[in-house]
Amino acid sequence: MGDMQPLLHVVDLTKRFGGLVAVDNVSLDIFPGEVVGLVGDNGAGKSTLIKMVSGVYVPDGGQIFFDGKDVTFASPRAARDLGIETIYQDLALAENLDVGSNIFLGREIKRQRLGGMLHSLDRHKMRAESAQVLDRLEIHVPSLTQQIRNLSGGQRQAVAIARSIYWNARLMIMDEPTAALGVSEQRKVLTLVRTLAGQGVPVIIISHNMQDVFAVADRIVIMRRGKKVAERLASETTPDEIVSLMVGAEAVHEMGVIPKAIPGNGA
Amino acid sequence: MAVEQQTTPQAISPPARRSRAETLAMVRKVWPWVFLVFMITLFTIAARVMNDTNFLSQRALQGILLYTTQILLLGLGETMIIIAAGIDLSVGYILGLSAVVAAEIMKYMYAQGYSPWLVVPVGMLGGILVCIIPGYINGWLVAKIKVPPFISTLGMGYAVFGAALLISGGYPVAQQPPYLGQIGNGSIFYLWLSNGISFFKAPAEAQGPELQNVIPLLPNVVFITILVTIVCWYILSKTQFGQHLYAIGGNFQAAVRAGIRVQRTIILVYVMGAVLAGIAGALWAARFTSGAADAGEAGQLMAIAAVVIGGASLFGGEGNIIGTVVGALLIATIQFGLVVLGMQPFWQFLAVGVVVIIAVIVDQFGRTLE
Repeated sequence: MGDMQPLLHVVDLTKRFGGLVAVDNVSLDIFPGEVVGLVGDNGAGKSTLIKMVSGVYVPDGGQIFFDGKDVTFASPRAARDLGIETIYQDLALAENLDVGSNIFLGREIKRQRLGGMLHSLDRHKMRAESAQVLDRLEIHVPSLTQQIRNLSGGQRQAVAIARSIYWNARLMIMDEPTAALGVSEQRKVLTLVRTLAGQGVPVIIISHNMQDVFAVADRIVIMRRGKKVAERLASETTPDEIVSLMVGAEAVHEMGVIPKAIPGNGA
Repeated sequence: MAVEQQTTPQAISPPARRSRAETLAMVRKVWPWVFLVFMITLFTIAARVMNDTNFLSQRALQGILLYTTQILLLGLGETMIIIAAGIDLSVGYILGLSAVVAAEIMKYMYAQGYSPWLVVPVGMLGGILVCIIPGYINGWLVAKIKVPPFISTLGMGYAVFGAALLISGGYPVAQQPPYLGQIGNGSIFYLWLSNGISFFKAPAEAQGPELQNVIPLLPNVVFITILVTIVCWYILSKTQFGQHLYAIGGNFQAAVRAGIRVQRTIILVYVMGAVLAGIAGALWAARFTSGAADAGEAGQLMAIAAVVIGGASLFGGEGNIIGTVVGALLIATIQFGLVVLGMQPFWQFLAVGVVVIIAVIVDQFGRTLE
C-alpha cells in the first residue's frame, strides 16, 4: 500500500473549543480499499476529528487533502458532494418510508408527464436502482416496499450504507456502526464493511468495541486527549496493546486489568 | 381468457400467512369504510321507521356530498399538514376570511355594474388569494421561528377571525349578484327524464310541474371538490413535494440531513392548506350568496376529525387523501343523517366527537399491538 496515493490526507489538524484543545495536530492518511479503526477513550477527540473531515466543524489549524486536492468544507453537504459520507448511529432514515424512498430521499428520480407539465416520482426506477445497489453490496432486505420500521437494526444500517454508496461515496465514515445491534447482525454489518473496502471504498470506523475493530480493520489509529498517540497494523498488534495505548500504559497497570486477547482477528 | 381467470387465483393464493402487523394495518384502513356503510344502513332504517323517508334517495346522497365538500376541502390541506407533523387550527377561520373577502369584492363589483363573467371569477380568486397571507405566516412561524404549530395556528385563527369581522363589520356580506346563487347551487348535469340531459342549467323548456322531473346531477360545488381532491391526491402521492412531507413527518432530522429544503416545504404546505380553505370559503359565498366571518367555525375540528378517522397519525408521517375522503364522508353522513331524522343539530357535535374517539382508539390499539 506504500506507493499508493492516500485518498484522504490530513495534516496537523487542530480544533479548539475555548481553552480545550479537542484535536491537537493530528495527521492521518487513508488509502483506497482499507478499513481503518479509529479508537480512543471518551473525549479523546475521535468524533471531533471526524466532524472536521465530514464538514461539520471547521478546523482551527491544519489541512485536509482529499484525492490530492486541498479542501475546506463549508458544510457537511460540501463534504458529501465530494464523496465523504458519514453514517451516524441514528442512521437518519425515515422509518415511515420504504427502502427505495430512503435511498433516494431528497434526491428522488422524477419522470415527466403530460409533456413536462407534471413531474411525478418514478418509484419504479428508484426501486430498480435500489435493488441494484443492494445487490452489488450483497445486502438482503425482505422487500423493497417494506417500511424501514419493519426492518432489523442491521438491515437499516445496510440501507443507510447502500444509500451512501449509491450516491458515490468515496470515503465512508461510520460512527459506532454495531453499537445497537445483535451479534449476528453485527457480523453482517462488519462483512458489509469489508465488502465496501473490497470495492475500493475506504472505511473509517469509530468504535469502542475491540472485537469489532480487530474483526474488520486493517489499521488502527489510537487517539488520546486530542492527540494521535499511535498507529498499528491490526495484524501486528493485540487488543491489549491497543487498550493500553488508549488509556495510557500507566493507567492500565494501575487498574491491573488488561483484557484477554479477543478472538476475531480476521476478515 | 377463461383459462387465465381460472389459473390466476391459484398462482397467487394462498397468501403466505399474513403477518399480524399487516392484518392490523388492514383493519385500520378498512374500518372507516365499514363504519360508513354501517351508518348509512342505520340511517336508512331509522329514516324509514321514524319519518318514512328514503335516506338512499338521490337527493339525500347529493346532500351528503354537499355536506362533505366543506369538511373535505379543509381536510385535504389538513391531511398534508398533519403528515408533515404539523396541525392547522386556523383553516376554519381562513375559510370565513375568504368568504368575506370574496363576497365584499363581488358586492362592490356588482354594484359597479361589471359583467358577471368578471365579477364571479375576480371575487372568488380574490377571496382565495388573500388566504395566502395567513397561510404563509403560519408556515413561516412554524418553519423559521419554530413556534409549535398548535399555538401559532391557534393565534392565527383568532387574528384571521378578527380581520374578517373587521372587513365585514360583523354582519353577513349581503347584496350579492343574483346569478351567484345559481352557480353555487347549480349542477353540472340536469337530467330531464324522457327529454335528455342539459349542462349547467335546467332546460328552459321545463316549466312549472315539469321541473319536478328535472334531476340535477353532480352539484358544481361537489364537482369542484372532486377535482381539487384529485389534484391533492396527485400531489401527495406522486410528487417529490408529497414524498418530502412524509419524510419530514417521519423523521425531521433525516429529512434535513437528506438535503430536503424542509423550511420551504413546510411553508408551502401551510400555504396550500390556507388556499384550500380559501377555495372552500369562495364556494361557501357562492352557495349562500353571502360572506360571513364565522362561515367555517369549527370547520378545522371537523377537518382534523376526518383526517384522524382516515388513519393519519397526529405524530406525522402517516395518512393519505383517500382516508380523509372516507373520514369526511363519514362525518357528513352523520351530520346529514341527524338532520334527516329531525334531530337537533347539536347532536352532530356529540356524534362526531364519539366517532373521532373511536378512530383514535382503533389507532392506538393497532399501535400497541404492533
